[in-house]
Amino acid sequence: MSDAYLPILLIFGVSALNAVFMVALSHILNPRRPTPQKAMPYESGMIPLGDTRARFSVKFYLVAISFIVFDLEAVFLIPWAVEMRALGWSGFVAASIFVAVLTAGLVYEWKKGGLDWD
Amino acid sequence: MEIPIHVLVFYLVALVVVGSACIVAFSRNIVHSAFSLLGTFGGVAALYVFLGADFVAAVQVLIYVGGILVLILFAVMLTHRISDIDITNRTVGRIPGLVAGAVFLGILVYAIAGTDWAKAREVAFEPTTAAIGNLFLGEYLLPFQIAAVVLLVALIGAITLSRKEIKE
Amino acid sequence: MDLGNVASLSLFYPEIVLAGTILVLTILDLVVANKRAMAYLGLAGCLVALGATVDLYGTEPTLLFHRMVALDNFSLFFKVVTLAALVGAIWMSIGSGEVRQVHLGEYYIVLLTCGFGMFFMASANNLLMAYLGLELVSLTSYILTGMLPHNRRSAEAALKYLIYGGVASGTMIYGMSWVFGMAGSLDYATINAAMAEGGGNQIALFMAFVFILAGFGYKMAFAPFHMWSPDVYQGAPTPFTGFLSVASNAAGVAILIRFFYPAVSTLGQEGAWAFQALPALQWTDLLVALSIITMTWGNLSALNQRNVKRLLAYSGIAHAGYIMMGLVVLNNDGLNAMLFYVVVYLIMNLGAFLVVMIVANATGREDMDAYRGLAWRGAAFPAVCMMVFLASLTGLPPMAGFIGKLLLVAAIIEGQFYVLAVVAMINTVVSLYYYWRIVKTMFLDEPAPEDGPVAATASAMPLLGALMVLTIVLGVYWAPLLDYTTGSLGFFMP
Repeated sequence: MSDAYLPILLIFGVSALNAVFMVALSHILNPRRPTPQKAMPYESGMIPLGDTRARFSVKFYLVAISFIVFDLEAVFLIPWAVEMRALGWSGFVAASIFVAVLTAGLVYEWKKGGLDWD
Repeated sequence: MEIPIHVLVFYLVALVVVGSACIVAFSRNIVHSAFSLLGTFGGVAALYVFLGADFVAAVQVLIYVGGILVLILFAVMLTHRISDIDITNRTVGRIPGLVAGAVFLGILVYAIAGTDWAKAREVAFEPTTAAIGNLFLGEYLLPFQIAAVVLLVALIGAITLSRKEIKE
Repeated sequence: MDLGNVASLSLFYPEIVLAGTILVLTILDLVVANKRAMAYLGLAGCLVALGATVDLYGTEPTLLFHRMVALDNFSLFFKVVTLAALVGAIWMSIGSGEVRQVHLGEYYIVLLTCGFGMFFMASANNLLMAYLGLELVSLTSYILTGMLPHNRRSAEAALKYLIYGGVASGTMIYGMSWVFGMAGSLDYATINAAMAEGGGNQIALFMAFVFILAGFGYKMAFAPFHMWSPDVYQGAPTPFTGFLSVASNAAGVAILIRFFYPAVSTLGQEGAWAFQALPALQWTDLLVALSIITMTWGNLSALNQRNVKRLLAYSGIAHAGYIMMGLVVLNNDGLNAMLFYVVVYLIMNLGAFLVVMIVANATGREDMDAYRGLAWRGAAFPAVCMMVFLASLTGLPPMAGFIGKLLLVAAIIEGQFYVLAVVAMINTVVSLYYYWRIVKTMFLDEPAPEDGPVAATASAMPLLGALMVLTIVLGVYWAPLLDYTTGSLGFFMP
């Protein structure tokens, strides 16, 4: 097992332990004195009006999906970028075709109003 | 008997993955299910590290945890009154389902244990990104470009289906 | 002959033309206001691609792009079938009222991309390409199913299709990973070599193939993976339903044959495929059982249907069962019969959906009662054509469907699968009932006062006429088609 990954494991373990420890400790040491005012949902000091479950705009989904698609594009380009010099012009052409197809998608989304927030 | 540390860590990671997956499948609260996917995806990334696939592990965290999990959480948190839906499957019931699952698991384990899997050379912990780059632009060029088309059509589909249609 | 990346481009013209059309349509959709022009451009692109495909006949079988896709008569055949289905679907869409509601630009772009994905399903020589092609077709199908705006049925159908397809895909890729684990490679020829050496535990091999069959079978709507089919056929816009029923079935057949033959068969003497021995688990029995279940389930479920699109969906499932009969035999005769049936099915099913679309355009309804006395409501020609298509679907002479079924049953009987042949005959008789119930409703029922006249759109009539004529002509003079399919059987096995 490569030693290079040991620090990652250590960080993971320490942060997990830390988080659990903090939450557990505050739960245990907490003096339990609930009042109705403390139990209400927090809204910057105002009294909450109405149900929180309003219908959210579907724009959120479109933003998330666009993020995934373009993130995947970046991820596909990373291996090419690492070996760019060795792959030369043919690699450049192939990667350009890849980027061109997805740029067409970006222009399409832009013109169809997918990037507007209203 | 001395257990090497990596075997211990492997079993810990496996426990995390399977445990999270069980929570995803069995939990009655859909928000708990969605959050447990984090454990599953992160655990799978750790498994990729065990196999020496560093690039894939990083991509797993970036895409699955950073993108897809967020999308699923959006869907769960922003869907109106999603907790009101009762997720059960009354058709078969729990006991026959459990029996069928156990039988299936038995068959799969028997098949996996009894097969002589074609092993590559020993797992070498060297950076794989360059090798993947060479393959993408060499042997696997066509899948690379078709993946671009798949992404394009996914984007177009998302735009089409999420458009606010004005009713005349 | 293996070709590298740059050298393959000259043999890749059909895909390049189609991809070019898709990109041009994407740009045009942003610039042009008249979306109807896009349909004609798409049609032109398909015809040019068809020309490029026909042009490739005569090249020797080659593996392109470092053994990713195969170029041989088999893949050319399926490209021609896919392009024919695309042309038919676009022609149908031009005259359809349902399609007019959707955003036309995206409809045609996604439809052409679906066809593009089918090219890869048919010619893939590598598990990764097969998976990518399948996913491209599935993704575009989900989008097209759910495209009708403000239509609950459409959205529900798309959701069911997506969930079902996701599970099937996951199962399939799990099976593919097992095959990779046993063979050490994703390439079909290498897998074949590894299997021939006897690699792999028999149970593991069987499970892996069952998982992969689950994925491919979901695309073709075999039972028990067919649950999505009625809802999707009913909810999707009718031209797309027509396209899905024929083209995705054809592409499913192609990908199934291309994967199973190199993997589980070896080329015997005289160029006939011989069954590779897997003594522990009988493959033929599994396929026979699956075929019987599919045919029977499809036919029995169709008996009670009131909605014509759902009825055609169940009939499509039954036809997938018939086509699977050709796979059971695992020799040249069976393959030939399957390919012949694919073409014949394309013609008759597309025609049936065209008539459904005409009626839906005029009355807005798809249930059986909308067809009451159709022949007497100004739609005599569509009614007669529907009768021809339904007779062909049942398998009555002198229609093309009869020849198709005859070839399949002949192959089965020669292979001594008598039980299967008997079940197929019984199922044909059962299907007679529900197909002819529609014919009876069209001709013998009196139109109720509220049923208005049905006028067929001008653009649909030529296509309808052409399909009907083809159905009858192929039933009487089928030799050219048979020669074509026999010639398409040569597929690349290095």
